[in-house]
Amino acid sequence: MADHTVAGYAEALFAVAAAEGNPAAVEDELFRFAQALRSNDELRSTLADQGVPVFRRQQVVEDLLDGKASATTSALVSMVVGAGHAAELPAIVDAMVQLGAASRNKAVATVRSAVDLTVEQRDRLAAAINTRTGREVEVKVVIDPSVLGGVVTEIGDDIIDGSVRRRLNQLRESFR
Amino acid sequence: MTNRRTRLLAALLFAPLGLVALAGPASASGESVGACIAEKLEHLIEEAHGDVDHVVHELHDDPTIGDNLEKECIEAPSPIIPELNEIIWGGSAFLILFVLMVKKGFPAVKGAMDARAERIRSDLDAADQARADAQAVQADYEARLADAKSEAARLIDEARGAADELKVDLAARADADIAEMRTRAAADIESQKAQAIADLRAEVAGIALGAAERVVQSSLDAEVQGRLIDAYIDEVANSDG
Repeated sequence: MADHTVAGYAEALFAVAAAEGNPAAVEDELFRFAQALRSNDELRSTLADQGVPVFRRQQVVEDLLDGKASATTSALVSMVVGAGHAAELPAIVDAMVQLGAASRNKAVATVRSAVDLTVEQRDRLAAAINTRTGREVEVKVVIDPSVLGGVVTEIGDDIIDGSVRRRLNQLRESFR
Repeated sequence: MTNRRTRLLAALLFAPLGLVALAGPASASGESVGACIAEKLEHLIEEAHGDVDHVVHELHDDPTIGDNLEKECIEAPSPIIPELNEIIWGGSAFLILFVLMVKKGFPAVKGAMDARAERIRSDLDAADQARADAQAVQADYEARLADAKSEAARLIDEARGAADELKVDLAARADADIAEMRTRAAADIESQKAQAIADLRAEVAGIALGAAERVVQSSLDAEVQGRLIDAYIDEVANSDG
């Protein structure tokens, strides 16, 4: 899919979320769904399968998000899947998150961890990143068991890796 | 040559003597027979006192008187000394013949002899030349034969030398090949050993790391995870990027 299509959908999603009055919550819910879609191949292929009727795929989305996300989030995901862009949904959501953060004059810090971070930990991490880089960031947490322990933070092209996985890899390298 | 010429000259000198000795008989007294008989008859006529008839008559009656007269007048010629006229004629003929011989015959004979001598000399020279040529050819053949022999010996020596060189070369190459193979085999063994050690080390490391990972995973409970995250946040906050 072309970049301008992703950008167009991202802007549309951001505009709808803003119009509904709670863009940050919708962004967060969309971000979590996109991460689930990234880590679940079966779900991604089902939602992108043109052979499955659209209403069936949209039904899957609604069943998954029922009670876990706002109606706005559910409707936006159904819209993208119905338009046949389920495979591009993670990229669209990433672009939308970037748009939202930029609208608040902030950068996005994608944080991968084996366990979720508490609100207090997120705030402290945002403050620490601000101290270190001088940039205001919004922390988006991605649950990634392969990290094992600790945290990997990505801000644009910068990566701050404090994971147990990295230390094990360093240990492995030292054996060679 | 000189001997032959001497004999020719001797023959020419003895020829006149032969001519004188073989000259034919002539009258001994140097007068004719008729004059002698006439003188005898004249003497008889004087004895008969001029009576010619008487003399004729006696001659007629006794024929022996006439025969005796003839016998007395006819004398035998000298066996040694020729008549003068014969000497003159014979000497003249000899001189003419001698001059002719000297002027014509001798040069002709001499020319023929010289030509023959010259021919024989040239033949001898040719024979000498031919002999020299034959000797030169023989020498040439002998030289070529010697060359061929020395060439053959040289070729044999060369071939032997080349064979020796080849033998040495092959031996050296075989030694070098063996040494190279040995070196390569040693290097192969060394690299395989190093590879085996590296593989073993990687294997051991993999096993150890797998075990460590499992230990870490089992020990990473919620509390430890929270502490790790807090430590990370503190690290980020306290570093200067």
